[in-house]
Amino acid sequence: MPALLRRLSRTDTVSGWALVSPAAILIGIFGLLPVLMSMQLSFQKSDLLSDETPWVGFDNYKKLAEDPVFVEAIKHTLIYTALFVPGTMLVGLFVAAALNRSVRFISVYRTAAYITMAVSTISQGIIFLWLTDRDYGLVNAALNSVGVSSQPFLASPSQALYVIVAMTIWGWTGFSVIVYLAALQGVPPELHEAASIDGASAFTRFRTITVPLLAPANLFLLVWLTINALQLFDEVYVTTRGGPLRATTVVVYYLWDRAFVQFDAGYAAAMAYALFVVILIVTAVQFRLARRHVHS
Amino acid sequence: MTTTQRPPTETAALQTNPPSERRRLRLPFSPWHLVLIPLTFILIVPLLWMLVTSLETEGEANRFPPVLFPESPQFSNYSEAWAAAPFGHFFVNSAVVTLVVLVSNLVVCSLAGYAFARIRFLGRGALFVTLMATLMVPFQVTMIPVFLIVKWFGDNVWEGLGIDHIGALMLPNLATAFGIFFLRQFFLTVPVELEEAARVDGTSRIGVLFKIVLPLSLPALSTLAALTVLTSWNDFLWPLIVITSQDQMTIPLGLSYFQGAHRVKWPLLMAANVMSLLPMLLVFIGAQRYFVQSVASTGLKG
Amino acid sequence: MIRRKLAISLIALLAFVLAACGGGGGSSSGPTEIKVWHGYQDTEGEVFKSLVDQYNREHPDVKVSELYSSNDLVLQKVLTAVRGDSAPDVAYMFGSWSPNIAKIPSLVDLADEVKQPDWTWDDFYEAERKAATVGDQVVGVPALVDNLAIVYNKKLFADAGVAPPSPDWTWDDFRAAAAKLTDPAKGQYGWLIPADGSEDTVWHYIPMLWEAGGDILNADNTKATFNSDAGVRALTTLQQMAVTDKSLYLDTTNENGPKLMNSGKIAMLVTGPWDLSQLSDIDYGVQVMPTYPGSSGGHQTIAGPDNWVVFDNGDERRQAAIDFVKWLSAPEQVKKFSLGTGDLPIRSSVGQDQAVLDELNGNVPGTAEFVENLNNAKKVRPQVEQYPAISEALGQAIVAVMLGKDQPKAALDGAAQAADAKLAEK
Repeated sequence: MPALLRRLSRTDTVSGWALVSPAAILIGIFGLLPVLMSMQLSFQKSDLLSDETPWVGFDNYKKLAEDPVFVEAIKHTLIYTALFVPGTMLVGLFVAAALNRSVRFISVYRTAAYITMAVSTISQGIIFLWLTDRDYGLVNAALNSVGVSSQPFLASPSQALYVIVAMTIWGWTGFSVIVYLAALQGVPPELHEAASIDGASAFTRFRTITVPLLAPANLFLLVWLTINALQLFDEVYVTTRGGPLRATTVVVYYLWDRAFVQFDAGYAAAMAYALFVVILIVTAVQFRLARRHVHS
Repeated sequence: MTTTQRPPTETAALQTNPPSERRRLRLPFSPWHLVLIPLTFILIVPLLWMLVTSLETEGEANRFPPVLFPESPQFSNYSEAWAAAPFGHFFVNSAVVTLVVLVSNLVVCSLAGYAFARIRFLGRGALFVTLMATLMVPFQVTMIPVFLIVKWFGDNVWEGLGIDHIGALMLPNLATAFGIFFLRQFFLTVPVELEEAARVDGTSRIGVLFKIVLPLSLPALSTLAALTVLTSWNDFLWPLIVITSQDQMTIPLGLSYFQGAHRVKWPLLMAANVMSLLPMLLVFIGAQRYFVQSVASTGLKG
Repeated sequence: MIRRKLAISLIALLAFVLAACGGGGGSSSGPTEIKVWHGYQDTEGEVFKSLVDQYNREHPDVKVSELYSSNDLVLQKVLTAVRGDSAPDVAYMFGSWSPNIAKIPSLVDLADEVKQPDWTWDDFYEAERKAATVGDQVVGVPALVDNLAIVYNKKLFADAGVAPPSPDWTWDDFRAAAAKLTDPAKGQYGWLIPADGSEDTVWHYIPMLWEAGGDILNADNTKATFNSDAGVRALTTLQQMAVTDKSLYLDTTNENGPKLMNSGKIAMLVTGPWDLSQLSDIDYGVQVMPTYPGSSGGHQTIAGPDNWVVFDNGDERRQAAIDFVKWLSAPEQVKKFSLGTGDLPIRSSVGQDQAVLDELNGNVPGTAEFVENLNNAKKVRPQVEQYPAISEALGQAIVAVMLGKDQPKAALDGAAQAADAKLAEK
């Protein structure tokens, strides 16, 4: 401990905390405190209705381990996350690279990318429900024209989750693009010019100069998209409601259902905190890997 | 360095094309448009659908598969939607809340983001993890405690901050770990040498932040601004929970007026949605100016 | 740059102060203020508002303020408000929540209140009274009633040369008609059912179960009985149409029923009166659901009554709330509301008034048939707090069978097991 204190100067600690305190106070009160307060709920049997909330210790958590639907929900959530996060990052990077040039009307294209984020989840859901409809959707019309039979997509227990992946990648591309665009501004054009004079192709230059400089943005997107993916709810709520036959039931949807349809709020809270631990671990691992990558 | 009229990236591209290719592919516009137009089209399909639906009659909107070309565009849907609820008032509420949340986030998250990026202080790691943890629990779980806390503020500090006031919409969102994390990552990309040079000259930490780091982070700040405006403007669940008087409602609550128990008035809802997008569009177009980092201001040359 | 930011912040702060001051209303001694939360919009909203205005005019000592509080997430809003000590005085709550919201401590038990003769409690349809009663508690006053019947596209029937549904139809007739009206090449189907596994799906199955002579639970609500022969018979009908005939369109999104109907793609829809106003582009008829031959069930339908519930916010407000709800559900207002909105009248005295029926039918054809069908709503869903869990198990079983992934007997047995386990917990 004394060694640590010697390395960290006192003035640094004071100025650090001074700058951080407004945020710490605000987030502490409105972010952390609620998290702690609702953790209490996970140790009770509560329906949010009556005032009786008997303490049941870890019973809710034990029930989780034996709940086949919860296990399924975890599986779906992980599969979803593993596909959504890299998908959105890659698509976003590609589109951002395309938008990072001074072509005429470029601000129109960029505005279009931004404004897609303003479209409500409900509208996105409706569009996708229609596009992928088995009988009346455009995707199946296109498939039929090349001889492929109509697919049920969101109505099929085996396909629905993957359609949700596609739908959410589409919905989040705008966000990814905006973040990458901001990051690409930090890539000094002189480096590109120097390399191209040396004969490097556009793609090589992108790979060796731009991509490494995007590391902080990559970490941000990786972490933020993962945190969001593991908490997927809205898009499932407006399309499949966790179906068909639970194929798209993800953890947060399941916990919402337990709390507000089945009136089992204590159990839902336990689920939220089990998920929280998972997210925390995954995020910590991502930060650790990033740090090692930078230092190697 | 030669000064060119064309921006650096296109110059570089032209220089790598061998002369023979340049003579063959002479289009009146950049070939990138051929990529950008279909790409943009795919992205904005939901928007187009919103526009089309907003001009349909209710009968047309109640068809499946959807009608793509309304028989006669019902521009009256827009005036009808505006009149259906006091949207002017909702707009003012939304604007005030968003503005306060925006300014607060930019200021508070800049201070904290810089500290996390550049100052090694005791407990930095633990604090960062703790703040990030607030992003990892879904709102459906924390909304009741947040409600109780905000209610406490309303009862004990100032009524305007409590339940059923727009202050309650601002309080929980004045700073987010998202903003702090975002700015931290971008502040890390500012060359440390510039900051160190200034500190050697005797500038304080906060001085370095305001004089060196922030001016170089305009793309990041304007991006955070655009994202914060988006989130705040479209927030639905929290205002739904906390607002119980019509004069304190925001636009998303107003939009829910068109969603009945058994049916949704799609044309009016979409018209109202389109109208509520316009301010965000203006904000973004305004913010675009700061998106592109002008090379001259980096001070990297020489 | 910084100065500009400061200026903006100050202006924002000022605006915020002004706006916030405008919103807060100090309560003074004056008329008792009560808050009513509801999900009425559009025509219903206008009629409701005019009723509220009328009440405020006629009762100067009370001020009723109504708030449209969404339909989708109203339960989250109400629960948060209750937990946060900020409950409204009156709230519109779905009937299926009754057994659970009965547990809210601040919910007013109206059992003694409605016994008083001027309520004419028995004038409310039986299904409504049952949906408002949990054990000895009366949790609310009826606000809405509806039921399920067949809505069919006259033109599609005529084009296919099939006789339209009649009151004597059996489910075999229904099945045959649906098959004849299905044409996959045109994307046309005989029937559509919500297949998302939610209470909507279950709600469509239950009247078929009752018509086949079965029940959801046994008499003292301790065991599931929907896996009886009657239950299997009802579910087999669905299986035959969904899997064998492929004449039953499975709407897993639960959104498209009325839209497809309105587009002329579906010949028959088993739905309620709320959908009629959306069918502006077709010529439709309304008929009662078919029966199962040889079953004691006869014609049955299911009603989905919703209630006005009252919360206790102090003696004065509670009494004012009760008085308002009493006035709102009195025959005169019921008639006004029903004629103004096209919603079914919640009182049988109004429902038997021929003049009312004629006017309702004049505004939205088919409404009168739905009112008369209320007499077929003989049973209700069990008023037990485990109902949501039972519904969930049943819903998944029904969808599994309709998707061809399970057989009726096995699926229902599985669901019955889950239901029994849940019932045993309490």
